[in-house]
Amino acid sequence: MQLTTLSQPSLTTHLRALFVIARKDWKVFWRYPLNALSSVFQPIIWITPVYFMGKAFSTNGQAAGFAAYSGTGDYMSYILLGTVLTNFIMTVFWGMGYALKNDMDSGVLESNWLTPIPRLLILVGRTLTSILTTTITSATMLILAGLLFGFRPTGSTFAAILTAVPMLVGLYGFGFAFAGVVLLMREANTLVDVGSFLVQGFSGTNFPVQSLPYWLIPISLMLPLTYGLDAVRGFLLKTNTLLPIPAEIAILLFSMFVMLWIGAQVFHRVERRVRTLGTLGQH
Amino acid sequence: METTFIPRSLGQPGLLSDVRAFLAVVRREWIIFTRYPSWIIALFIWPLIFPMMYILTARALSGPDGSGLAVFIATTGATDYIGYIIVGTTVWMWQNIVLWDVGFALRNEQMRGTLESNWLTPTWRFSYLLGQTGPQIVTMAMFIGVTALEFGLLFGIRLNGSPWMLGLMMLAAIPAIYGLGFAFASLVITVKEANAFVFLIRGMVMIFCGITFPVAILPAWMQTFAKWLPQTYLIHGMRAAAFAKAGVKELLPDLIPLLSFGAFWLAVGYFTFLWMERRARKSGAIGQY
Amino acid sequence: MSQFAVEACQLVKKFPARPGTGDKPLEGEPASSQRKRRRLFGKKEPKAMFTAVNGVDLQIQYGEIFGLLGPNGAGKSTTIRMLCTLLEPTSGTAHINGYDIVKQANDVRRSLGTVLAGERSIYWKLTGRENLEYFAALYHIPPAIAKKRVDELIERMELKDRANELVEKYSTGMRQRVAIAKALLARPPILLLDEPTLGLDPQAARNLRELIAQLKQEGHTILLTTHYMEEADQLSDRIGIIDAGKIIALDTPEGLKRRIDRKEIIRLEVSGWQDYIGEKLRAMREVESLVARRQNESDLWEVNLQATDSRVVLPKLMESISQNGTRLVNMNIVKPSLEDVFIHLTGKALRD
Repeated sequence: MQLTTLSQPSLTTHLRALFVIARKDWKVFWRYPLNALSSVFQPIIWITPVYFMGKAFSTNGQAAGFAAYSGTGDYMSYILLGTVLTNFIMTVFWGMGYALKNDMDSGVLESNWLTPIPRLLILVGRTLTSILTTTITSATMLILAGLLFGFRPTGSTFAAILTAVPMLVGLYGFGFAFAGVVLLMREANTLVDVGSFLVQGFSGTNFPVQSLPYWLIPISLMLPLTYGLDAVRGFLLKTNTLLPIPAEIAILLFSMFVMLWIGAQVFHRVERRVRTLGTLGQH
Repeated sequence: METTFIPRSLGQPGLLSDVRAFLAVVRREWIIFTRYPSWIIALFIWPLIFPMMYILTARALSGPDGSGLAVFIATTGATDYIGYIIVGTTVWMWQNIVLWDVGFALRNEQMRGTLESNWLTPTWRFSYLLGQTGPQIVTMAMFIGVTALEFGLLFGIRLNGSPWMLGLMMLAAIPAIYGLGFAFASLVITVKEANAFVFLIRGMVMIFCGITFPVAILPAWMQTFAKWLPQTYLIHGMRAAAFAKAGVKELLPDLIPLLSFGAFWLAVGYFTFLWMERRARKSGAIGQY
Repeated sequence: MSQFAVEACQLVKKFPARPGTGDKPLEGEPASSQRKRRRLFGKKEPKAMFTAVNGVDLQIQYGEIFGLLGPNGAGKSTTIRMLCTLLEPTSGTAHINGYDIVKQANDVRRSLGTVLAGERSIYWKLTGRENLEYFAALYHIPPAIAKKRVDELIERMELKDRANELVEKYSTGMRQRVAIAKALLARPPILLLDEPTLGLDPQAARNLRELIAQLKQEGHTILLTTHYMEEADQLSDRIGIIDAGKIIALDTPEGLKRRIDRKEIIRLEVSGWQDYIGEKLRAMREVESLVARRQNESDLWEVNLQATDSRVVLPKLMESISQNGTRLVNMNIVKPSLEDVFIHLTGKALRD
C-alpha cells in the first residue's frame, strides 16, 4: 500500500504553526511570573540612576543643558520613551537569537526544525508572543514610571505608533542575521548583551545623539533605529529632530526592506552552512 | 570467619590536607576559567560599555555650552563627572559579577553534575566556596585595572588622590561584597528562580547607593535606606580617595561601617551555607536541578 | 572494627511528594496514618510524602560483591545516596566500614569510593589527569603519593594516551573510566557503584565487569546497583532484589534461582496480543504469573509465563492465542533466570 503523508502544507497550516508556536511561548512566559515582574521593574531600576543624575544637572526640575541639545528639558519623558522602544528592540534581538540558543541548549531545536515549517517562520513565531508580552510589560512600566518620574507626552500618539511599525519590521531583518550568527557561534550571551547595549547606546535611547562626540555621531547616523527613535520623539515630545520627520520616515521605510532582505539572505546562507557542517545539534 | 585483606585508604586527614584541598579548588577554578576564552572579550568590553551609557547621558545633560555641568559641579563638588560615574558603576559591576560568579558557583557545579562528586570527598565543604573566591578576586582586579586603563587612555581620566587609599577602600569592601555572594550561593542551591535575587540586590545598589549621583540628592527615606547598604560607603569612600585626596582619617567614617557590614555578611554567608548543607542532605536537593 | 563492610538497619527515606510528578505514597502505607496527619495539621492539606526507601536491611561482608537489583525507581539510587552520605535517612541507621553514616560522615567518605549514575561527575573542561589530581587533593592524599597513584590509575584505566586531553573530547566509556579512577584514588576499602554500565556499549560494559571482578580480587568490597539481571548474576556473590523501596529477596544468585526451580518458564513471541488473553490465562490455577510487553513499538509481544505444569497450560495457551488475528511466532521453555525470579516475586517485569 502506498502511504500518503498526512502533512499537507497550505497557508492555513503555516498560520496554525505560527499560532501554535506563539501559544506555547505564551504559556511558558506566564509560568515564570517573576520574569514578567522583572521585565516591568528592570527598566525602571536602570533609569533610576539617570533620574537622580539628571537632578544633579538640573535647576528647578529643568535640565537646561539637555534642552539645548534636544529641544526639551523634560529629560525623563525623553528617556522613558527611549526605554519603551528599546524594550521592543531587545525583544526582536533576543526573541530570535536567544530563543534559538535556548532551543539549542535544551536540545529541542532539531525536533522543531525537522518539521516542514520554514525556519524563518519559526523564528518570527518565537517573537509574536514576546511582542505581545513586551507591549503588556512596557505599558505597565510606563504607567509606573510615569507615576514615579513623570511622563508628559505632548504630541500625537497615533503618528508615533505608526512610525514605530516600519522600524520594528526592519528590525526583524536585523534579528534574522543575528540569529544566523548565533547558529554559527553558539555562544550568544556576550554577543546579545554587547550587541544590544551598543545599538541601544548609539541609536540614542538615553540621550540625543547630537550630544555624542563628533567622531561617534556617524555610527549613530548609520543606524536606521536612530531615525525611528528620533521621529517617534519628534511626534510625541515635539523634540528637535535630526532631519525633517518625513525624510526620517522615508529612510525607515527604505531600510526596512533592505534589512529584511539582507537578514533573510544571511540567515539562509548560515543555515545551509550549518547543515553542511552538521553542527546544529551540538552545543 | 576467613580473613580477607582489606585495602587501607590512602587519604590522610589533617589541617594540611584541608589546605591542599582548598588550593586544589583554587587551581581547578583558575584552569577552567582560562579555558573559556570568551571572558577576554567581556573583560575588555564591559568596563568600557557599561559606564558609557550613563556617561553619555551625563554628557547630554551637560549641554553644548556646559550649563548643566556647572549645576552638577555645584551640587556634587566633583569637577570630573566621568570619573565620578566610573567609580559608582565599577562598584555596581563588582557586586554584580560577584553575585553571578561566586553566587552561582555551587549552582553551576550542580548543573554540571560535579557538585555531588565534590561532596563525596572528606574535604571541608566551605572550601569549595572560598576556593572560587581566589580566582574571582584576581579577575576582578584585572577588571578594575582594565577600567582604569581604558578611561585613562581614552578619556584622560587621572587619579587625583592616592592609589593606596583607593586600594584600602576596596580591600575593606571584600568581606561585605563576597559575604553577600556566599549567602547567595547557598540560597541558589535550594531556592528556585534565584536569578530574581540577583536582580533585587543589584537593583538596590543601583537605586540607593548613588552610582551616578550623590546620595544627598535622594529623598530623606531613601537616604536612610542607603545607610544600610555597604556599597554606599564604598562608593563614597572611593570617590573621596580617588578625587578628593582623602587620607585614612577622612575615610574612617566609610571604612568602619564597611568593615562592620563585612563581618556581618561573612557570618550570614557562612551560616547560610551550613543551613543549606544540612537541608540538602535531608532533601537530596543538591543532586537535582 | 565492625564485622561488616556495609551494614544498614531499617533505612527509610521519605521525600515530600512533588505535585505533578506522579509520586504518590506507597500503597502499603496505612490509611490511618494519613488520616492522623490530616487531623494534626487541622485544615491544612496534609503534606504528601513519597517513600523512596522503606526499611532496607543490608549486611555486606568485607571482600564481597553485593548486587542490588531492581527496576528504575525501586530505591536503588536513594539507598546508595544515603550510604555515601549525600542523603540523610529519615530513619534507621547504617554503618560503612564501622562508621555511622550520619555522625561520622567524613570517616565514611574516606572509606568509600563512589561512582554515581550518569557521566557528569567529572569536569569536562579539565583533562583526565587534572581531574584525578584535583580529586586526589580533595580526598586528602599527600602530593607525593597522589602523583604516583594518579599515574598508576591512568595506566590501569588505559587512559594514558589521552590523559592530557580535555574530558569533553572523551567517549562515554572513557569518561566512565575516569569516574571510576576517581573513585579508586584513595584506595578505599569499599566501593559503591550505581548503575556502572549504564549507557556503555557492550564491549566497554564487558571490560568494566572484568575490572569489577579484579577489584574484588584486590580486596575491595563492592556494592553495585543495576537493573541488568545478567550483570548482577555474573558479578555478585549475593544479590538483594529491591522493589518499591523494600528488599524482597536476598540470596546468592543460585539460591534465588533455586527458588523457582520447579517452575516452568514459557517464553512466547506473539503478534497481535490482546490484554484479555492474559486475563484469561492468569485465571488458570496452573499459571503463576504472566507478563506481556511489547517489543519496540512493533506488533510483536514478548510474553513471559511461569507455570507449575506446562502440560495443562500449553493446550489452553495455543487455543487462546490462535484467535482474532493473534498469532504465535515463537515459543521456548527456558531455564529460570534472575529476571524470572523477579517476575515471580513481584508479578512484573524488571524492564518495561
